[in-house]
Amino acid sequence: MKVLVTVKEVAAVEDEFQIAGTSIDETYLEYDLNEWDDYAVEEAVQLQEAGIADEVVAVTIGPERSEETIRMALAKGADRAVRIWDDALEGADLLDVGAKTAILEKVVEEEDPDIVLSGVQADDDGFGATGVSLADALGYEWAAVVNHLDQDSVESGTASVRRELEGGVEELTDVELPAVLTIQTGINEPRYASLRGIRQAQRKEIAPKTLGDLGLDAAAVENELELTDMYEPETESDATYFEGGPDEAAGQLADLLREKGVGAQ
Amino acid sequence: MNLSSEQAAVRDVVREFAAEELRPVARECDAEQTFPEDVWDGLAELDLTGLTVPEEYGGYDADPVTYAIINEELAHGMLAVATALSVHGLATSCIDEFGTQDVRDEWLPEMVDGRPVGAFALSEPEAGSNPAEMSTVAEHEGDEFVLNGKKQWITNGRRAGVYVVFAKTDRDDPGSITQFLVPADTDGVSVGKKEDKLGLRASDTTTLIFEDARIPAKYQLTEEGRGLSAAFQILTGGRIAIGAQSVGLAQAALDAAVEYAQQREQFEQPIADFQAIRHKLAEMQTKVTAGRLLTREAAQKKAAGAGMETAFLASQAKYFASEAAMDVANEAVQIHGGYGYTTDFPVERFYRDAKILTIYEGTTEIQKKIIARHLLGDDA
Repeated sequence: MKVLVTVKEVAAVEDEFQIAGTSIDETYLEYDLNEWDDYAVEEAVQLQEAGIADEVVAVTIGPERSEETIRMALAKGADRAVRIWDDALEGADLLDVGAKTAILEKVVEEEDPDIVLSGVQADDDGFGATGVSLADALGYEWAAVVNHLDQDSVESGTASVRRELEGGVEELTDVELPAVLTIQTGINEPRYASLRGIRQAQRKEIAPKTLGDLGLDAAAVENELELTDMYEPETESDATYFEGGPDEAAGQLADLLREKGVGAQ
Repeated sequence: MNLSSEQAAVRDVVREFAAEELRPVARECDAEQTFPEDVWDGLAELDLTGLTVPEEYGGYDADPVTYAIINEELAHGMLAVATALSVHGLATSCIDEFGTQDVRDEWLPEMVDGRPVGAFALSEPEAGSNPAEMSTVAEHEGDEFVLNGKKQWITNGRRAGVYVVFAKTDRDDPGSITQFLVPADTDGVSVGKKEDKLGLRASDTTTLIFEDARIPAKYQLTEEGRGLSAAFQILTGGRIAIGAQSVGLAQAALDAAVEYAQQREQFEQPIADFQAIRHKLAEMQTKVTAGRLLTREAAQKKAAGAGMETAFLASQAKYFASEAAMDVANEAVQIHGGYGYTTDFPVERFYRDAKILTIYEGTTEIQKKIIARHLLGDDA
């Protein structure tokens, strides 16, 4: 069984930053593996360690710089990686869900995995749709916001998953394979890459591919979405100080919380 | 300094581990004088307990620059753990370097997996800076050695399952110092008093007592009389590690000072706006950078394999970086004012911990002696 994990290097802004137009300058950005994808990688590696997956392939859309991040997925146990990038992607202001879906669809067709694991969302652009959109394009089954995967079920060709819903409700769903599962944080405890894993990862393949290699052209990454503005919202702080001893202060805090609706019946 | 992609990845992972797993427990471990054993198991999962062991035994066999980087990052999280690990690394280095194939096969794979923990027993109550004055003896009887004596300042004393021990094979011959491997469960080996220390309180520092402790002759690591020269070679690497740990601790103190200076307001402005504080921070940063560069230079020299030159640089790195850590931690407390004198902030611990850096693995005075000796050509 083959597992494909979509991973993304995301940008995080430093504490102090400035917005210029609709972007933030590189000097204020730090790059890391998308948090949700870290959980997806761990889930895939656990499937491999349990002897269920024969191969774990990580795929990413990103520039050469992102290899450093993708290599962490290899250090944690993924067997090899595919990285898609070319001039058309370099020149694109924004990659929307449609563009990512078009690219990943081609990779999935080439790799033919049994399961695709994808983070629920990316930390930076936060579209939260790529995994499900990819399943739709492929005609795969899908389950979103998965916070438990029954490993044994996977071997039988159906993934039994638990999904997290709003309001503290969870549901169990059986999804026929092949399928795309979007992985929620908390599904597992992502490991640290070991030093030997890091060393082995230096020798693992990260295959670079262009849109052309996938049979796509620049039109595939044309956006229907336009980013019109980016700004920091005004923030206001409203601090309340309670005077008096601990009992008195606690009583005032309880009154305030009740007033705000906490614990109301 | 340009790091390879592997070195940079190792730095990132160890930095994250130190921030997530070490720093959060550092205060409690210090207060309760307990070593975080589950953190040690985490170090083993990351392969950090096999840093000085060849790959054939499952080790990582870190190059000297990577070894320095790891020591720096761990010390940034918690010096006591970095120290315990570097002592374990000294023990695995000795076993790998001087043990026979059988002894290496017996001990290294398990030590790579984290347990038994290793310790290094050189100092004695009456033999500190001058180890040649040691009185512990190991008498050859048939196919055994019989050890008698007392060792001092044993990091991992209670935790360790195996000790690398230095002893004279002839009590009257100062030139007979030899290195042995002693399993902790050997009859006649007992762990003595646990020291109540100023700092590094989470680290388990004890005495070690040998009373007719018999070990098989195969556990003789070096040739008779070659124990000390062998130790000095291993300790050169150890000194670079302590230099790197000093840099890590100093960086931690500087980071805390910068954060506090930006938050703390007096006279209606952050204290970071006062030139008196800005000058302190500038001096602290410069000392951290200088210590790091000197340590990395020594590590690079060691990677290139040069002998006396490496020891010369290792002593400079250890001397400078440890004194710098003391200065930087001192100023970090000063910047925090009264709050820095309390356990509400970590800088008081950095200050207490920093002092040991100028003492262990060769005091500042001994490092200067080595530097001057080389400089004046006395060691040629």
